[in-house]
Amino acid sequence: MAKNPASDNLPLADVLRAANELVAEKLMQDWALGGALAAIYYVEPFMTYGADIFFIPADKGFTAGIPAIYAYLQARGWQAEGEHLLIGGFPVQFLAAHGLTEEAVREAERIDYEGVPAKIFPAEYIVAIAASVGRAKDKARIEQLLQQADLDKTKLENILQRHKLKLPVL
Amino acid sequence: MKLEMRQKLAREPFADKIRKVGQLIRLAKTFPRRPAKPQVIAK
Repeated sequence: MAKNPASDNLPLADVLRAANELVAEKLMQDWALGGALAAIYYVEPFMTYGADIFFIPADKGFTAGIPAIYAYLQARGWQAEGEHLLIGGFPVQFLAAHGLTEEAVREAERIDYEGVPAKIFPAEYIVAIAASVGRAKDKARIEQLLQQADLDKTKLENILQRHKLKLPVL
Repeated sequence: MKLEMRQKLAREPFADKIRKVGQLIRLAKTFPRRPAKPQVIAK
């Protein structure tokens, strides 16, 4: 069978490596992959247009250090486009974590992706975050995770209770 | 797709799944959705 063309490869390893560099440069305290790509770690692959990196800011000011993060990555060839930074045309969003998302970063699962150490939101937190957002695509994500991921139901209940969240009616 | 098939896909290695997402993105760029035709309102 023919190999996938290189254009199919998302530059995810480069994204994760860059996030590690941002910690080493003290531009952020910690980070984890969230959003759709984190969900895909636990469920079947589906279409998504970008990566969401949630980070605990090193700079506790109003901007959460985002201008310095943009400047650092732009100096390394990333392009800014609206609220995204593009690497090889692939959009990445850096989002300051707080509350539930900050807890998800702190509790994130450690993984190795193509030799790059990374952290990824636990499945239970992805469900809770989706329940807190509540769009149609979040309901679909919850359904997928409930059907396909090996969820710790006790842990999920605990998170939902502490953050006063309820699962939507599916 | 049947649930068992979807669960099987979910258990694939993450790197393989990311490669498939890349393929989906390429397909979406090659064959973009056409905008929906305006609805004809029946009188």
